[in-house]
Amino acid sequence: MNENELMDGLRELRGGEPREAPRHVEERLLAEFRKRSGRRQTAWWQAGVIGAIAAGIAALVWLAGVTANRAPHTVAELRPEAAVLESVAEEDTSDFYPLPAAEALPAVETAMVVRVELPMSSLRLMGYPVNEEPSGEPVQADVLLGQDGLARGVRVVE
Amino acid sequence: MRVYSHVIVALLAGACAFAQPGPYRMGRPGPGDFAFMGGEFGFARKVVTGAPYSAQVVTQSSQTLADGNRIQRSTSASVARDSEGRTRSERTMGAIGTMSASGSPSKAVFIHDPVAGMSYVLDPGKRVARQMQVSSRRAPGTADSAAEGRSRHGFSEQSAGRQSNRTAQTVDLGIQTMEGVAAQGKRVTRMIPANRAGSERDIEVVTETWYSPDLQVVVMSKTSDPRFGESIYKLTNISRGEPDHSLFAVPSDYSVQQGRPPRLGQ
Repeated sequence: MNENELMDGLRELRGGEPREAPRHVEERLLAEFRKRSGRRQTAWWQAGVIGAIAAGIAALVWLAGVTANRAPHTVAELRPEAAVLESVAEEDTSDFYPLPAAEALPAVETAMVVRVELPMSSLRLMGYPVNEEPSGEPVQADVLLGQDGLARGVRVVE
Repeated sequence: MRVYSHVIVALLAGACAFAQPGPYRMGRPGPGDFAFMGGEFGFARKVVTGAPYSAQVVTQSSQTLADGNRIQRSTSASVARDSEGRTRSERTMGAIGTMSASGSPSKAVFIHDPVAGMSYVLDPGKRVARQMQVSSRRAPGTADSAAEGRSRHGFSEQSAGRQSNRTAQTVDLGIQTMEGVAAQGKRVTRMIPANRAGSERDIEVVTETWYSPDLQVVVMSKTSDPRFGESIYKLTNISRGEPDHSLFAVPSDYSVQQGRPPRLGQ
């Protein structure tokens, strides 16, 4: 077929009546299209649910980790090799920051260490060096008290 | 569809359950300056034997603010020591100095038993005792001097280092009888130079201490520091009889846990 013959054929097609597929073929095509389209929508919905479940599981794992960090554990549970050293309470005050307000207080005879939660601004008021601008967010700290109940030292634990 | 709904509801319920505060957490400080979470451990700097006593402890702290307003707090506690050197301190954690605790004050009891080599922190609210092994390096009857005890700890060494930088003047106040016991008094006046304190004038810090040689405890002390206010510590109702032995034991209805919560972030 040369170019002239091809062009003649195309002109013939263009000039002729519109040609349509048989009615039953069109109906079958539409039915098949609707079916596949429905499957695709279902697949998207399923993917959304699976994604939500995965996000939920990830959130639970994260929350569980945070809760575990806050829950009381014995030292031995976390660092068995350190349990013996940590349990010797007298040696466990070396990392307390001595508060300026305690400089003039009498020497410690009996000491108590209590854990408190307080805002950074309160730590600064106690004389604990806070480099950054104190926020309203509370922090956990151990406070070393003397026999008089007055604070001698602080260490931030969180 | 219904199955997926149930899964989502279950996930949300689980997340809410995990988000509940744990038993150790008491939440943010409320109207007070701090929230008391619990006692960690307690110890005695030296073991004193053969000098039993029990007493009430009263501590008053006051601070005058720049506008003339005044903050005053008072705390109380009870202390006891038996002939063998066991000590007990029972304290209501309503305040630390001029800082007040949020919520209703919680109580904490600290028992130090050098005979058994154990230290306990009791939580009367939860009926829980935490038991810790303590150093056996210092046996009963071989009391370290306070100075030696302090020098063994980094914390006190730092404090001592700071204090040595100050110019201190000590005045002997003689002996007085306080709450039925003889006490030796001294007044120490420390001067913090203006250039060191960053103040316009020197700062004078005065500490008056009354120490009982018999009981080997401070019976009364009074500290006046212009930067932090004034605090007065007093032992009252001193009884020199042998305290009840049960004071130094964990009550039978307490559950005993080993160790103590670790420092977070370790």
